[in-house]
Amino acid sequence: MRKYHFIKVLSLALLLMCSLSCSSDLDFNQANDLKLTPVIEGNLSYFDVPAEVFAANGGLPVQWAYDEQEFDIFRDKYFNSYLQRADFHFEISNTINRSFSLSIVLLDANDNALTTMNFNIPAYSGNTNTITRTEVFENARLELLKRTRKMRFLVMIGQGSALNTSSAGNLVLRSSATVYLEI
Amino acid sequence: MRKSFLLLMLLIVTTCFSQNKQILYNLTSVPQSMMLNPGADFKYKYYFGVPLLSGMSFKVGSTGFSVYDLFANDGVDFNQKLRNVVYSTNRNDHGAINEQIEIFNGGIKLGDWLEDKGYLSFGMYQEFDLFAYVPKDLAILALDGNQNYIGKSFNLGDLSMKSEMVSVLHLGYHKNISEKLIVGARGKIYFSGFNATTTQNSGSITTTVNPTTTVYNQEINSNLSLNTSGISKYLDDNYDGDVAADVQKQFLLGGDMGLGFDLGFTYYPKKNIQITGSILDVGFINHSKDVQNYTFKGYYKYEGNNPNFSDTDDPDSVYDDFNEAIPLDTLYNKYTTWRPVKLNASYQYSFGTATDEDCVCTATEKRYKNAVGAQFFMMSTPRLPITALTGFYQRNVSDKLQIKATYTLDSYSYTNIGLGLSANLGKFNMYFMADNLLEYRDVSKANSLSFQFGFNFIFADSNEPPY
Repeated sequence: MRKYHFIKVLSLALLLMCSLSCSSDLDFNQANDLKLTPVIEGNLSYFDVPAEVFAANGGLPVQWAYDEQEFDIFRDKYFNSYLQRADFHFEISNTINRSFSLSIVLLDANDNALTTMNFNIPAYSGNTNTITRTEVFENARLELLKRTRKMRFLVMIGQGSALNTSSAGNLVLRSSATVYLEI
Repeated sequence: MRKSFLLLMLLIVTTCFSQNKQILYNLTSVPQSMMLNPGADFKYKYYFGVPLLSGMSFKVGSTGFSVYDLFANDGVDFNQKLRNVVYSTNRNDHGAINEQIEIFNGGIKLGDWLEDKGYLSFGMYQEFDLFAYVPKDLAILALDGNQNYIGKSFNLGDLSMKSEMVSVLHLGYHKNISEKLIVGARGKIYFSGFNATTTQNSGSITTTVNPTTTVYNQEINSNLSLNTSGISKYLDDNYDGDVAADVQKQFLLGGDMGLGFDLGFTYYPKKNIQITGSILDVGFINHSKDVQNYTFKGYYKYEGNNPNFSDTDDPDSVYDDFNEAIPLDTLYNKYTTWRPVKLNASYQYSFGTATDEDCVCTATEKRYKNAVGAQFFMMSTPRLPITALTGFYQRNVSDKLQIKATYTLDSYSYTNIGLGLSANLGKFNMYFMADNLLEYRDVSKANSLSFQFGFNFIFADSNEPPY
């Protein structure tokens, strides 16, 4: 008899434990609120051009230098759909005794210009000569950025005597991008 | 992307633990104790388990966080909670799930009542295993990006997880080779339902400040690989079958196979002192059917879009460069996985003989009423082994009822109290065990929970001649 009494007590205890056990209020639907919002820092563009690149060629002064780069990260449709905002940070320093204007043009797949960033760079006169700027891409301008497939770099040389192969100095562009994603 | 991340996190959340069955171990009134020590001191004429109900065990566990931390309905933004969990854990925190269901199970004594030719036991069980480490660095990168971590090297080796489902057909034998020593062994054939393993990862993503040329030095060094077998068809977009049913079919219609063994012993240096030990699942599975390996290997240095103002047109394309440098490859190579090896050991001191009142006066010797002792458990994982130490008290309330209480220290908790009972109603045996009883006050805050139960018919061994 005793042991059956024991089983009874034990099962009662187990039952009690089960019914007393509880769980805090949980809400698994919260998982739907999951929003990843990474902020990515990355290189954008860099060049370091010595003055001689702009040197007179065959007697004719060079008015501009030009280069076009594939810029096709926006081909990725996932990246495009996650992209909320992009900040382009530019730092241009000039140690050439001439002023320049730099245009960076974003082009779509058909070489149509989408947006242009213009920089007027004063001539070097012995002092630190650096300009910085941040271009923000949001809303309508962000949509233009998403269609970008190419970047065109256009450097116009300001008035003055022609540069030659022994002209001193460099024109340096350092730029990075801060990309705000929401996944 | 968002979905897969969520899935990954959910897997990790539900992930569990280490397969330590400290209550069942050496509770020799339950046949399933032989699955933890093939040399267990369990004697029977024959026994069989109630099909599908003879042995069920479930275990979930996580270190460093609990379900409550993530899903508490407390008004705090889920993303904030996720962040808190990610930042408060370290790369060796993990979650694990283990589930075992016996399909059938039985045993028989060899020889007649006079001679001891040993005991056979056999059966089949199904096991599901999931083990995942917190992929801390990758989670930080996904949650917050690299902006606040310039200079940090994100470790791709943080990604380490494996999941599999196997059916195990086993045959065991144990025998008293002397009055004091019982040894046993069990051979196992594994049938793999599916397997996914990504544990051999390394590499890094770094962004450091460059004072001279480009703004940053950005490098990705990736050595990621995922081996899968038996799941490719479920990943197919056109798949619309029933996963559960198809996995079952795969078990029978020849998936991958492997071999393994268990060894164990029970030794009585004195009548009331018992030492046991076992090593389980020393074995491998050879994955050769429906194998797919995904690799993401290579090195890429990202410098940006850099014009040089020379006439030569450089077909620079970041998108293509990256895909060429670190391609996502799908291969079809066989691979081998090792089963997680488990070690058990125990020391037990027994005292207090049964009173005459309780004595049923069988020809067998009287059982001790009480036993105390310690157990040790260790299991291999992709990184450091998991260990657990258990102290226990076992009481034979009567010939028909045994209870065992345990206190276990492990990486999941320092307050793990477990309780199990095994009861015989005639030939019918049932057992029920659960641990982490203190956590039942609020299961959502538990780091680990496990329970086992099952039903068997046991026909006891006796030294009396059959009529």
